[in-house]
Amino acid sequence: MTSRIPLNRRTIVKMAGASAALPFLNGTAIGQSATGLPASSVRIWTFLSAEGKSPREVVLKRIIDRFKVANPRVSVAVESQPFQELETKFVAASAQRRAPDLIFMRDTYLSLVVSRNVLVDLNEVLSADFKRAAIPDMYEVFVRKSVYEGKLYSLPLWPSPAQTIFYRKDALREIGLEKPPLSWKEFVPAAGKLTKGDRLGFGLPTSDNSVSAFINMMTGFGPNIFDPATGQIDLTGGQALETADTVRALVKNKALSKTLLNAMGDDIQDQFAAGRFAMAQAFTPRFQQYKSIAAGYNSNELAISPWPSFGDRPPAALLGPYWTVGLSAQSENKAAAAAFLEALYSPEASMEWAKTAGLVPDRRSVMSDSWFKQPEALTIAQFVAILSSPGAMVFPQKLPDVTKLFTVLNGALQELIGTDEAAKAILGRAKVSLGW
Amino acid sequence: MVMPRQPLGHNMEARRTDLAIPRSIEAANRTARRVGIALVGPALGLIIAINILPAFYGFYSSLRKVFFFRDDGFIGLQNYVELFQSPLTWQAIGRSLTFTFGSLALAVPLALLVALGVRQLGARGRLLLTVLLVPWAMSPIVVALLWKWILLPSPGGLAASILAVVGLPPANLLSDPSFAMPTIIVVGVWRTFAFASIILIAGLGQIPADLYRAAAVDGLGVIERFRKITLPLLAPSLLIVLSMLTISYFNEVQIIIGLTSGGPIHRTTTLGFLLYQTGFVELNQGRGNAIAIMMFLINLLLITGYVKLLGDKTRSEA
Repeated sequence: MTSRIPLNRRTIVKMAGASAALPFLNGTAIGQSATGLPASSVRIWTFLSAEGKSPREVVLKRIIDRFKVANPRVSVAVESQPFQELETKFVAASAQRRAPDLIFMRDTYLSLVVSRNVLVDLNEVLSADFKRAAIPDMYEVFVRKSVYEGKLYSLPLWPSPAQTIFYRKDALREIGLEKPPLSWKEFVPAAGKLTKGDRLGFGLPTSDNSVSAFINMMTGFGPNIFDPATGQIDLTGGQALETADTVRALVKNKALSKTLLNAMGDDIQDQFAAGRFAMAQAFTPRFQQYKSIAAGYNSNELAISPWPSFGDRPPAALLGPYWTVGLSAQSENKAAAAAFLEALYSPEASMEWAKTAGLVPDRRSVMSDSWFKQPEALTIAQFVAILSSPGAMVFPQKLPDVTKLFTVLNGALQELIGTDEAAKAILGRAKVSLGW
Repeated sequence: MVMPRQPLGHNMEARRTDLAIPRSIEAANRTARRVGIALVGPALGLIIAINILPAFYGFYSSLRKVFFFRDDGFIGLQNYVELFQSPLTWQAIGRSLTFTFGSLALAVPLALLVALGVRQLGARGRLLLTVLLVPWAMSPIVVALLWKWILLPSPGGLAASILAVVGLPPANLLSDPSFAMPTIIVVGVWRTFAFASIILIAGLGQIPADLYRAAAVDGLGVIERFRKITLPLLAPSLLIVLSMLTISYFNEVQIIIGLTSGGPIHRTTTLGFLLYQTGFVELNQGRGNAIAIMMFLINLLLITGYVKLLGDKTRSEA
């Protein structure tokens, strides 16, 4: 049965009146509920572009669009910066009083940025609801690293195992393996067997300012590689020397090549996509992107593995460097910036980071969504398994000489790969360079 | 005979004119000076503001401990002492000089050959020069990326693809410790030599053609004419080319950052790269400024040497 509205003169007048009043009512409703925030703008410095090309950029754009609909009086401007310069430029911009409202930083640099008093304590600006519901819902191991003397200076974004080993299942099948061995003792000969023709068994970045393959390899000894008091690594100790011997063994059996002496992380990952390696160190949050650009093999053959360990320790996963987002102490739009920060970590955003960019959701509770039981979520399940594994560890909260550490250790790694000089002498020089 | 008396006013007029001439010259000079100052002043002010004052501030910072934009106070010459104590600094000075003189050894003869060729070819030569100038007009970092793609030793690299066609394996020029420096020298020269050619073409244009005709009448061959006429009269232009290229090569950093990042095994870590690494990556801005001061002094020394060498020669031949 359908109900009919009698179309008489009185009805038409009522409808016309209602139509005329609707825009005002609408405006009032939006003005009061959705735009509790005054007219303002939020400037964000990140390495992502606002144009939405890569999977992560697509999600960021959607979050911004949604935020703008909910807060029409707030504008959001993404100002892309080279990722290795974000922290430096932010501190410099803060000194010149032109810092953005929100800043993406690497966790390894957070202590330095915090020491310059340019970040706000997020406990003061985040809403009570967010603090109650969202923060306990995030991975504690990452959140804890953002807390200095009880003050929360940033929120970790995209919890992930950071640098893992990407491998091609098809290449491993050639030598009768399903996945890379999880101890260095077995990994080294397997990697040697994977070198075939133009393809190399293993690729490591040897020239990078923010990652060190040597440290990643050393994590096979567990979190005690970092001195609990100083955060330093004993570069001439037994663990470092055994790691150096493993590097040399990989070179000797041709798994690692001297032709990689200048390779940055991006070079290794691009060459991996072109089919040059069977296994390579890579940045896990880019997994989805690397599936989409795989050219030298079938993208369905791409998988990730934690790092092998030394002895009978569990496989290792160094959860960093990862991205963490802070709010400028100089921001004149703290309320709007905090609201946008909260939007980055909403359950909807977490689902989108997962579905579109293949990232572990920041909010653990969304993992109960039925989507995570589907085959396309299998990789995320693997990431979570690595995150939660007994070998998972983070960098010390204050990593000493962080601006120099990776460069010095990559120089040492180049010498280990490219020369025959004694490992102790090479690592001893690295130690002197760092003043440790 | 009584000379007719000249009116009194005439003498006074003459005297006034005699006095007025020097005064007006002086006034004209004064005006010219004022105009000169007005024209040069703004440019000079800009140079002082953009170059001179920051240079002084750089020196001031080199005497302080400045890390990650925080000034922790005066430390005297500590930054310099630590630099000189580090073997990496001495190696970097050596590599800077290798890069500079290696590039000059290749670029100057090449630029001279091109300049002579362009003059011989006339209009076609000028067209050729325009093409050769394209790399110079490109940003160094773009040049580095272009060459990185050309030299990529894996599928997709231009050189690797060409070598693969003739059945040869890819050459790993940028990651081979023996070839990395020669490779960046070639790339640096490829970018800059055409600019040097322009200066030399201008220099060649100032040599009177009569000299060559006279030399030909005297029976001088091509090589002798080049040695006895071209080279000596081109000395002022060569001095400019040498000075400009020396400064350019000694300070080169963008091509090194883009192609080798100072590697492999520090083989392309020049002073310029060390400055970038120390000041911009390690964020040790005090020490970075100490390296900058050191580079300035070495540049100054080299240029003074050229002026002494070529300047004296030019004067004696004149």
